[in-house]
Amino acid sequence: MAGLDGPGATTPRAPIDTGAVRVSFPGRAGNRGSSIVVEIGTDGQPVIDETPEPVTLVELGRDRHRLTTSVASHRVLIAPIPHPGGRAAGVERLEVVLDGWRFDVELEPEARARLRERATSARADVAHGGPLEVRAIIPGRVVSVDVASGDAIDAGGRLLVVEAMKMQNELRSPRAGTISRVAVGPGQTVDRGDLLVVVE
Amino acid sequence: MSPASLRKDDRRSPGQPALTFRRVLIANRGEIAVRIIRACRELGVESVAVYSDADSSAGHVRLADHAVRIGPAAPSESYLRIDALLDAARISGAEAIHPGYGFLAERAEFARRVVEAGLTFIGPTAETIDALGDKLQARRLARAAGVPVVPGTLEPASIERPDELPPLVAEAERIGFPLLVKAAAGGGGRGMRRVERVKDLPTALLDGSHEAAAAFGDGRVYLEREIAPARHIEVQLLGDVTGKVIAIGERDCSLQRRHQKLVEEAPAPGLSPDERRGIHALAVAVASRAGLTNAATAEFLRAEDGSVHFLEVNTRLQVEHGVTELVTGLDIVREQLHLAAGHPLSRAAIEAAERAAEPRGHAIEVRISAEDPGNAFAPAPGTIRRWVMPAGPGVRVDTAVEAGDRVPPEYDNLIAKLMVHAGDRDDAVDRLARALAETEVGGIQTTVPFHRFVAAHPGFRRGELSTGWVTEHWDGPAEAERAQRLAGLAAAIAWARSQGSTASRRASLGDPDGAPSRPTDGRAEPSAWTRAALEAATDRWPG
Repeated sequence: MAGLDGPGATTPRAPIDTGAVRVSFPGRAGNRGSSIVVEIGTDGQPVIDETPEPVTLVELGRDRHRLTTSVASHRVLIAPIPHPGGRAAGVERLEVVLDGWRFDVELEPEARARLRERATSARADVAHGGPLEVRAIIPGRVVSVDVASGDAIDAGGRLLVVEAMKMQNELRSPRAGTISRVAVGPGQTVDRGDLLVVVE
Repeated sequence: MSPASLRKDDRRSPGQPALTFRRVLIANRGEIAVRIIRACRELGVESVAVYSDADSSAGHVRLADHAVRIGPAAPSESYLRIDALLDAARISGAEAIHPGYGFLAERAEFARRVVEAGLTFIGPTAETIDALGDKLQARRLARAAGVPVVPGTLEPASIERPDELPPLVAEAERIGFPLLVKAAAGGGGRGMRRVERVKDLPTALLDGSHEAAAAFGDGRVYLEREIAPARHIEVQLLGDVTGKVIAIGERDCSLQRRHQKLVEEAPAPGLSPDERRGIHALAVAVASRAGLTNAATAEFLRAEDGSVHFLEVNTRLQVEHGVTELVTGLDIVREQLHLAAGHPLSRAAIEAAERAAEPRGHAIEVRISAEDPGNAFAPAPGTIRRWVMPAGPGVRVDTAVEAGDRVPPEYDNLIAKLMVHAGDRDDAVDRLARALAETEVGGIQTTVPFHRFVAAHPGFRRGELSTGWVTEHWDGPAEAERAQRLAGLAAAIAWARSQGSTASRRASLGDPDGAPSRPTDGRAEPSAWTRAALEAATDRWPG
């Protein structure tokens, strides 16, 4: 995805600019993990990869905004996402709906995000290949479970089938490993975010 | 029996007799249940909603006069349970049942048992549903009525023994490739297989048959030529107990994805009044032969050369009936209630039929569904946080949801039908674009971005419609990616502003924790992270 890669990969040794914000899209299917780093100049103009983005954002009230680019004008809804369980410190979560497209967006000062990543990668070095939790990305009903605790699984191997709105969705293992836990059974209703399977 | 319904008798229009029932049970949910409740209320008829555990506070339950629980969330344990629905009718004192669309609407057994229970079924008779629900029987019936059917077979394909295959292959070659294997009991594309070459035919027959057997308990399949490019054109029909059948107009429903309609309009663009009359007559011929009473829709494919081929008849109210209502001025559900009560076709309906080839203006409907058009229209159930529907001249929205409602994963994902009506098609497309720009949905992804794309597409405006349109023109992931980048920019700007304003407020108030929406670790003193962010923000936003 051009222009949406995390800067950690492209400019790992660049000096940290505390004014930049990392904008991540955690939830969107197919775009998982993508993020952009945006600097907001003193004139309010965003800059990505040292390239100014000629856009203006006008607030219209009640979460409504108008984003104007050089070619078009877009209606944007920007609203905080409620956090019943409390939010992670320093990370702002917003729902952004642009022209009907809905995104969960996480914003965090880039400097903070980098330090957090350093801490995380240090931990990951210790617990190399640690457990990976597979969670439900949409609410639905578990139709069948293909694996049991202790099974070996290949990357892409089918874990279970969840039915949502009359469609059957296959969930596959994101990596090879061993099933250490199966948290659901056939017929069970699951909500978004519920733990389904743990792969070690 | 409310006083309102008694008074209604005195106010009824001349020539329209009183209904024989006072209370109607709606064996459905969602927007169509709401649509039927509205017609009942206008007629002074009380409505009885039914609901599953997932729907105990759903829109149709909120709006109805009475509501009866019929079971757990799973459709097979609630909305598909004939016994539970008949019990609900008995408990509530309903005298008639409207099935809506989907669920049991086209199950002849349901219509039969409603009548056996001494109630009125608001729809065609069980015999008509049987005759037309079997696609093969419907094809034979259309052929007998002199209506051109899509070229193909009229009897089930024999696939049990290997020696039965050669005659079938010869038949397939006569029909021509590519062709479709279709299920006799079919619907929604299930049991359907596209076959491009002779050698793929045996596998397609077996696979299609197995899928049909699993889905419908009936594995009979047949062959049909694939007509492509084609337009999907359907005719709205009404019939009364005297055997009179009329067509009140046609709709174009060519914009589909995997046989699921996305956009519908009336009239079908680019047809002359004579062509319209021709298709209406074919539809009436099929329906008359099937003894249609109440409402149904005959579906046709129109090839590029203008030839029209009969596809099937749906013996129920269609999702997209509203666009016909807009261009005829007729209330189809109201007509259904009168026809079910045994009344002859109303004067309004007969007048609408007389004007059917020259309807009033143009109407377009888009189906707003809880689906992600950027990800193959995958279901996107969840809780609706924001719900602002358009209004103003020529706009109609049929829905059962509001902000705070949960779209349950158990049912169809259609959450609203947005319809527009204008003097001509061009103005209707403008009105659709305007209405979509006013539409605001938060909390769940909907198909609104796809509809905005359609409304802005020059080819759609020119009326270049075909059943392959969506595949040819829509690149959902690319559209989503473009929007994502802009959404990220907008979020970053808004975030920077909120940080700046938080910093300035805190500086002036001298209160480290008083500002809202500022992340803290829950300690009295702002954390190092917050301080760093604050300093950065203050640097950039000095005022």
